[in-house]
Amino acid sequence: MSIIQQITADDLTDNWRRINIDALDPDSSLNFPTSSLHPPQPEISESDCRNLSSAVRQLLRGGDAEGALRTCLENPVYNGPDGVKEQHLGTVVEVLQSIKASEMSPLLKRVYEGEGGVELLDCLMKYLYKGMGSPGAGSGGVKVMTPQTTGFSQIGGGRNISSGDSTGSAMSVLLSWHEKVVEVAGLGCIGRVMTDFRRV
Amino acid sequence: MSQSLRPYLQAVRSSLTAALCLSNFASQTAERHNVPEVEARTSPEVLLTPLTIARNENERVLIEPSINSIRISIKIKQADEIEHILVHKFTRFLTQRAESFFILRRKPIKGYDISFLITNFHTEEMLKNKLVDFIIEFMEEVDKEISEMKLFLNARARFVAESFLTPFD
Repeated sequence: MSIIQQITADDLTDNWRRINIDALDPDSSLNFPTSSLHPPQPEISESDCRNLSSAVRQLLRGGDAEGALRTCLENPVYNGPDGVKEQHLGTVVEVLQSIKASEMSPLLKRVYEGEGGVELLDCLMKYLYKGMGSPGAGSGGVKVMTPQTTGFSQIGGGRNISSGDSTGSAMSVLLSWHEKVVEVAGLGCIGRVMTDFRRV
Repeated sequence: MSQSLRPYLQAVRSSLTAALCLSNFASQTAERHNVPEVEARTSPEVLLTPLTIARNENERVLIEPSINSIRISIKIKQADEIEHILVHKFTRFLTQRAESFFILRRKPIKGYDISFLITNFHTEEMLKNKLVDFIIEFMEEVDKEISEMKLFLNARARFVAESFLTPFD
């Protein structure tokens, strides 16, 4: 009886049994380098992203929604700090929110049939899932409509979190885009988003 | 079905259909073992990008795909404290009977109310489209069930209060 007690007391105090020794073995499958699963991506800095978003906004102001969408999907931020990724997500969401529901399908069809269309819609799908995954960024787009820098819009998005209505409307925009993209590009689009290790 | 619920469920349906593409895959760390990779997390290359589908802040679904299993976690809408308690009781009732649900996970992952774990053995035994239908139907029904339970609870509370206070009338 006393031996059992000693052992349990040992177990409780010493947590060496909980060390995952696989993590210390370089040949273990746990240490598989996932960076070898995709080609190296150029690192995108904050100023690049800011230039891109102002170019996109210029196109939007000129009424060229398709060009704006193409521009931000052709330059996704695969490699960069989290802040830059969020910033680019904000730009994409802003473009998506400025396009009317009736224009979605014809616009997506044109993009899909154009050069590199499959790739672009896969990228759009990645941003749709990311937008739904991060509630703060999704709502930021509504506020960006006023001429503000993206830095401010992020703060605005942060404040919006408490009000469920605005995030709800931002999500419903993303959801309707999701539906349209699946209609145009099919389920394979989602499959490619899941299996692609270049994450936005 | 309300207008905003339809695109949400449609997005979940298409994502699930795309994610339920599983094959048998033995563990790479332990010989003669076959474990759901999404739970074991021993091989990073077979874990695919997790997908989040959200209707708003309080209603979202997380789909974590991997080569031989997917994990679906649902956050059920909770508008107030009462609904929070009801959801907790309801999911606890289900998870305690996880054995007979096959795909139900005994414990939800953090931040969600209920989780399902579908492995390649489930998709071999059951029809894939029926599994997707089951998840969608569950999501539809659970909202209805919770709001119904809330109504019953309020009616019952009113009745109890009335009969308790009658002697003092």
